Amino acid sequence: MSEGPRHGCDHVEGCITCGDEAAAMRIERIDGERELALCVTEDGARRSVEIALVQPVSEGDTVLVHAGAAIGRVAEEVSA
Amino acid sequence: MSMRYVDEYRDAEIGQALAGKILGSIEPGRHYKVMEVCGGHTHSIYKYGIDDLLPENVELVHGPGCPVCVMPMGRIDDGIAMANEEGVIFTCFGDMMRVPGSKKTFTDARAEGADIRMVYSPLDALRIAKQNPDRDVVFFAIGFETTAPSTALTLKRAKAEGVGNFFCMCNHVTIVPPLRALLDSPDLRLDGFIGPGHVSTVVGARPFEFIPADYGKPIVVSGFEPLDILQSIHMILTQLAEARAEVENQYSRVVPYEGNVAALKVMAEVFELRPHFEWRGLGFISQSALKLSDAYADLDAERRYEVPGVRVADPKACQCGEVLKGVIKPWECKVFGTACTPEHAIGTCMVSPEGACAAYYNYGRFAREKEVV
Repeated sequence: MSEGPRHGCDHVEGCITCGDEAAAMRIERIDGERELALCVTEDGARRSVEIALVQPVSEGDTVLVHAGAAIGRVAEEVSA
Repeated sequence: MSMRYVDEYRDAEIGQALAGKILGSIEPGRHYKVMEVCGGHTHSIYKYGIDDLLPENVELVHGPGCPVCVMPMGRIDDGIAMANEEGVIFTCFGDMMRVPGSKKTFTDARAEGADIRMVYSPLDALRIAKQNPDRDVVFFAIGFETTAPSTALTLKRAKAEGVGNFFCMCNHVTIVPPLRALLDSPDLRLDGFIGPGHVSTVVGARPFEFIPADYGKPIVVSGFEPLDILQSIHMILTQLAEARAEVENQYSRVVPYEGNVAALKVMAEVFELRPHFEWRGLGFISQSALKLSDAYADLDAERRYEVPGVRVADPKACQCGEVLKGVIKPWECKVFGTACTPEHAIGTCMVSPEGACAAYYNYGRFAREKEVV
C-alpha cells in the first residue's frame, strides 16, 4: 500500500473519500493557464492542486483541498 | 497556516470552559440526542475524547456521512468487474481497497491480477490515463459534495484535453436526501444535528434550512477541531433551551452560507441526479446520487462496460444499517469487535476509517466500557 503520496486508509489522517481530512494548504506557485497550483501542507508535503473553484487566489493564500481540488478559501483571522 | 492556528482550536482550558457552558445549557433529566452527520466529526469526537467532556444525558449519534460506509456491495462488484476487463487500469482512493463486495475486495482482485491502483485524486487517475494512452483508465469516483467538484473538474479537463481513454464510474452521493430519509424514519428520535463542515463548503448552509423549517430541529454547521465541535454542541443545546430551531454556521471561517458557487456550477454541468440510488443500510433513496450528464456520456464507465449491476443484500449478521441510522451504537452490533474488526471487516462501517464502528474500535473502547457499566 505504498502508491500515491499518502494513501487514504489511515486511521489517524482520516479518509480521502469523505475528504474530512481536507487539508488546509498554502499556495506556493500558480500555473494560471492550467489553473493548477503547487500547494504545501503544514508539514511540508507538496501537491498539485486544481484552483479553478477558488479563483481568484494568490501565492501565499491558504485553501482547503479535497481530493486534489481546492474547494474553499480559509479566512486568515482566527476567531475561537 | 501555522500550528498556532490549529492549537487555538485544541486548547484544553477553553475545552473545559465550553464543557461547563454545555452543562449550564441543559435541563437536568432531559435526554439529548445530537447526530453528527459527518464521519469526520465522528473521528474527531473519539480521537479527542469529546464525548467524555459531555454530560451523561447528551448523547452523540453517528450519522450516515461516510460515503464508503453507505456504498452497497453491488457497486463494489461492478467496479471489480470493470477492473477485470482486458487492458483496464482501475483507479480508486485507498479507503475503497478493503471494502467488501459480495465475494471480494479490490485488494483481493488486485492480488488475483487486476491492475488496480490507488490514487490520491481524480487528477492522478487522469495522469495515469495520459501516461498509458493504449489502455482504458477507469476512476471509481466516490464521495459527497466535497469530492464531487474534484471529479467534475477532472472530467472537464479530460474532455478539454481530448483524453480518450479516461472513464469514470460515478458513485457520488448527495447529503440532503439521506438526511431527509433519516428524519422521516419512524424509529429515530433526534434533537439536533452537527452539520457537515466540508460538504457545506461546497453546498453552503442554505440547503439545510429544511431541517428547522420542516422538522423543527436545529442544525449547526461545524468545523472539525475539538473546540469547533464543542462549540457547535453548545450552540445546538442553546437553541433547544431557547426553543429555537435554526441553521447556524459555527464554521464561518471556511463555510460561506451560499457555498462555493463555482463548484456547484461545474457539478451541474458534469453531473445529473440519478432517479434513485441504494444506500447501504438505508435502502433506496430518491435523487440521492449523481451520474455523468449526457454531455459527458462518452466518459461514463457504466455506459462503456457491461457490469453485473446486481443488488446484493447486506450480510445478515451486519447491523451497519442500524448504526448508520443511529438506532444502535456500534458496540451493540452482534459482531462488533469479534467477527468484525478493521482487519477483518464484515460491514463497511468497520472498513472505512471514517466509519462509526472503526472510530469506536480504534478510539472508543474505554467509552464503551464506561457505557456498559
